[in-house]
Amino acid sequence: MPRTESKQQLGVRGEDLACAELERQGMQVLERNWRCRLGEIDIVAADAGANGLTLVFCEVKCRSGLGFGHPLEAITYAKMRTLRQLAAVWMREHRMTASSIRLDAIGVVLAPGQEPSLTHVKAVG
Amino acid sequence: MASACAWSVALVGLEGRVVEVEADIGAGLPRTVLVGLPDSALYQARDRCKAAVSNSGQEWPISLLTVNLSPATLPKAGSHYDAAIVAAVLAAQGVFRAEELRRTVLLGEVGLDGRLRPVRGILPATLAAQQAGFTRVIVPLRQAGEAKLVEGIEVFGIASITQLVAFLQGIPMPPVDPIEVIGERVGGHPSRHLDLADVVGQVEAKWACEVAAAGRHHMLFHGPPGVGKTMLAERVPGLLPDLNVRDALEVSAVHSLAGFNLADELITRPPYSDPHHSASVASIVGGGQRMAKPGAISCAHKGVLFLDEAPEFQPTVLEALRTPLESGMITLGRSELHARYPARFQLILAANPCPCGQAATPGGLCQCSPMVVRRYAEKISGPIRDRIDINQAFLPLRKAYLKATLQRVESSAVVAERVLEARDRQRRRLAGSGWLTNGEVAGTYLRRYLPLPDDLQTVDEAVDRGRLSARGVDKVLRLAWTAADLAGRDKPGRDELAIALAMRRGEQPGTICRGVG
Repeated sequence: MPRTESKQQLGVRGEDLACAELERQGMQVLERNWRCRLGEIDIVAADAGANGLTLVFCEVKCRSGLGFGHPLEAITYAKMRTLRQLAAVWMREHRMTASSIRLDAIGVVLAPGQEPSLTHVKAVG
Repeated sequence: MASACAWSVALVGLEGRVVEVEADIGAGLPRTVLVGLPDSALYQARDRCKAAVSNSGQEWPISLLTVNLSPATLPKAGSHYDAAIVAAVLAAQGVFRAEELRRTVLLGEVGLDGRLRPVRGILPATLAAQQAGFTRVIVPLRQAGEAKLVEGIEVFGIASITQLVAFLQGIPMPPVDPIEVIGERVGGHPSRHLDLADVVGQVEAKWACEVAAAGRHHMLFHGPPGVGKTMLAERVPGLLPDLNVRDALEVSAVHSLAGFNLADELITRPPYSDPHHSASVASIVGGGQRMAKPGAISCAHKGVLFLDEAPEFQPTVLEALRTPLESGMITLGRSELHARYPARFQLILAANPCPCGQAATPGGLCQCSPMVVRRYAEKISGPIRDRIDINQAFLPLRKAYLKATLQRVESSAVVAERVLEARDRQRRRLAGSGWLTNGEVAGTYLRRYLPLPDDLQTVDEAVDRGRLSARGVDKVLRLAWTAADLAGRDKPGRDELAIALAMRRGEQPGTICRGVG
């Protein structure tokens, strides 16, 4: 079966959509695919609300169908725990402070021939 | 985001408590949390319900789903909450209107393919729902008949989740393929057609059975092997009249809880239970780790419990019968709850006089030493013996006797008719006292409110000689009343007292009855 898109390409497309969604909600994307020894943060965004600056660390999971379950179901407790540690490392490296931080998860379903469907769950970890 | 609730029933003993099943779909990573003290069968409902809903063409919420069973402090066990959990989750998702679940109790376990499976205790649960003011109950299709035995509540039999959804949406239910069920007991009581006429000889023992059946008295049969002890005991339930509606409901509820599928009818015949002598205490009185299930004595409620080869039972098993024999119920304490079951059974014990079975039998050659014979007899302890009304000895038949008695044998139907008449007399006499039979009447009532027999001299003598205890006097009076009822007299006289005394003391040769009184 000819593949139209590799796993990596699919992931990038999903992350593009996730960024667009965050920006639509009024957040500013600070960084994408930041890596260190511990792992990778998909998206770091800043959410300037009434209570000051909130740093949003976002895990994006993208799938091309629901045959293996919804993408959000693949975001496990272990992944969110790693993301929490990564958030701390990122803030230290960038000498950033914020009044609060938030861990979000975004599941993207990119089924061929269908409109992409995006589920954004805030403050999961 | 969204929440909804459905209703189910938790059974503690025979008493049901209504349980509210709440489902809340909240923000969070997809996860299903089940709270409210579930046991492991119930905790696994999470995975069962999820698969069942997905396989029924519905969606399981892709977010944090919290299912709570309230009151949260009441321990809950079993798989019958599945139906309510599924309904609450689907209602929370807006598959049908949540108001549809008001005043409705749901019972049933779901299969992974989405069908609704039968569960234990449908009858008592439906009864509890009706008493709590619910107007309808949804049960597995094959148990609708059982639930319909309860009046004053609408019953709907549902075969699968697909049907449940259609039903609650108010659209016609799709038909289902009939499912063959293998390995399930249906109407656990094969009607026995055992006739008293099958038993040869043993006229006195048959008379004792008649008296016992009429007044619900406990009996001890003793005699050598092969004289018909078991045969007669099996025929006692056939002499008993049908259960009245209240008793039938209670007996059926216990059996439903014990796991018998009642099919579509109440148990109207007195039940019969004859556990093997290897039985454990828990199997006899009821038990289980967290939820205590009814045992043999509760399954024999309003019927007959027959313990064949009584001395072979573990002593602890026999002693466990003491309190239920007096109180007519059993309260089983477990770490998290107390379950109470009715256990007003009529006890029949059968025993050989010694291990070889020949002791004190005319013409029998017993090879047991006196000590062995005594030990064997002692296995039925004094307190248990004291609770026995009728001590009936069985003697081996002689050939001539056999011939003579073959001619006039009464069938069970004839005897049952006399028993029914005697029961009627008792019911009329005891009207308003709360008792129905002589065997159950309290001693104080017996002596204070009922006329004493005229000629109490024989009883006085027996007491003076130390052959009759205080409890023994009451037992003799009860037996005398039953004998009078059978004879159609208004009051026991000298004859009835003599019969009663002889039955109580078991005035027959045989070591096993020595020291009774």
